[in-house]
Amino acid sequence: MLELQNVGFRYGRGQDILREVSFRLQRGAFSFLTGPSGAGKTTLLRLLFLALRPTSGRIHLFGEDVTRLPRTALPPVRRRVGVVFQEFRLLDHLTTFDNVALPLRVQGQGPADYSRDVMDLLDWVGLKKQAHAYPPVLSGGEKQRAAIARAVIAKPELLLADEPTGNVDPVLARRLIHLFAELNRLGTTVLLATHDQGLFKQVRAPVLHLQDGTLRTL
Amino acid sequence: MADRKPGPVIPREAASLRTMTATMAVMCYLACLAIGALILINRAVDNWARGLSQEVTVQVREIEARDIDADVSAVISLLKETPGVTGAEDIGREAAEKLLEPWLGSEGLDALPVPRIIRVAVDQARPPDFESLAADLKQVSPGASLDTHRRWEDELTRMAGTLTALSVLILLLISGSAVAMVIFATRAVLDANRQTVDVLHLVGAEDAYIARAINRRFLATGLWSGGLGVLLALLTFFILGNAGLPQADGLASASRSLFYVPGASVWLVPLALLSVPVVGTMLALVTSRITLLRMLRTLP
Repeated sequence: MLELQNVGFRYGRGQDILREVSFRLQRGAFSFLTGPSGAGKTTLLRLLFLALRPTSGRIHLFGEDVTRLPRTALPPVRRRVGVVFQEFRLLDHLTTFDNVALPLRVQGQGPADYSRDVMDLLDWVGLKKQAHAYPPVLSGGEKQRAAIARAVIAKPELLLADEPTGNVDPVLARRLIHLFAELNRLGTTVLLATHDQGLFKQVRAPVLHLQDGTLRTL
Repeated sequence: MADRKPGPVIPREAASLRTMTATMAVMCYLACLAIGALILINRAVDNWARGLSQEVTVQVREIEARDIDADVSAVISLLKETPGVTGAEDIGREAAEKLLEPWLGSEGLDALPVPRIIRVAVDQARPPDFESLAADLKQVSPGASLDTHRRWEDELTRMAGTLTALSVLILLLISGSAVAMVIFATRAVLDANRQTVDVLHLVGAEDAYIARAINRRFLATGLWSGGLGVLLALLTFFILGNAGLPQADGLASASRSLFYVPGASVWLVPLALLSVPVVGTMLALVTSRITLLRMLRTLP
């Protein structure tokens, strides 16, 4: 499903953000990615959802070498990956409903095709009543759930989440972790970047620890 | 929910597009004025050239020891017998003197040997053979010469060509400025919506999808501004044609004649003006799409 071989990354001529990072996630795996702030977690996730290209090493995704994939070949790969951003990255001019439906819209589906699925998912994450609300009026937790709903609406094979519980209270954090576990049970491979060591107790999963740009498995 | 129209993926309110609407409207307005001028020039030159080619002139100069009146009579008789000539008329010494007045003044013209002018109407469909007519006239009267107005026609054609080229150049400059402005506006829209474009890319949107979404904004902007430009131009022609300003009399009749000329197609001007928003919008769409696809290719 996902394999990194000696991946290194730096911005321009700056210092290395990631060094010789290698790991593999099997299909259907659930893993945590942890490490102190500035360790390179977000950079690593950005490499995985192909927003950045490594300066060295190779990345294999869905059995394909995506290290130097041409731009035109990126959209089909990205459609198989769901991403929950740390800062949510919801579009403020679209309603919660339209934000969640976005991955399906860009695939060419119309409201008649996706309305029911979107509403069911909004119901599942507890945002049915906020379907018509715009992101600026949502609370941090609601935005987080909307971002998660958008990441999973197209049933991605791989779900990457960057601090998905960073803005919510412990009760909601537990609910969200159960939501990820449920998605994983349904077949989605999940890699969850977090500081929150308390989450490791809720889901038994391998923990990848990133420190000073190098990775080790706990 | 299924019936609800989804919101636009690129927000409607883009300040740079509002600026573009106003500037494009001015460009379309100027383009309409240039087209109006182009049509007027061509019509006027056609009319003048038609008038000139319907008539030729014969001048009979006074020659010593010859009776000029007899020469004029002989020339008129010859002209009337010539196939292709439909009429010949001596305009008279007084009228000939009047023609010289602007250059020589009215004093002392009596003493000058003013040539006699014979106005000759010709059948445009079957004009006479001017070369042999000129030779025949010399036979009848050594002081007679034929002026076919060819020089004036050539001058007019040259002037019309210059004015037409100037109008076309103005249209090209307006189009060039419009293209530059659309490129600038496209960049501004893309920069202003960079976050949105990034998110669209990350959820799997292709460049063509994003370009289409942004292009829709330019379609609306192009049509709006083009329509506004045409309306303003029509209003200008209407005001010029009906304001009754004595100092702009020629402009007024020109503006009126733009929309109604006996025998000319009534649709020519409206169609030419309506082509402005259509061409403007097409220009905006093609330019913004090319710019967008180029810019999107540089993004991660």
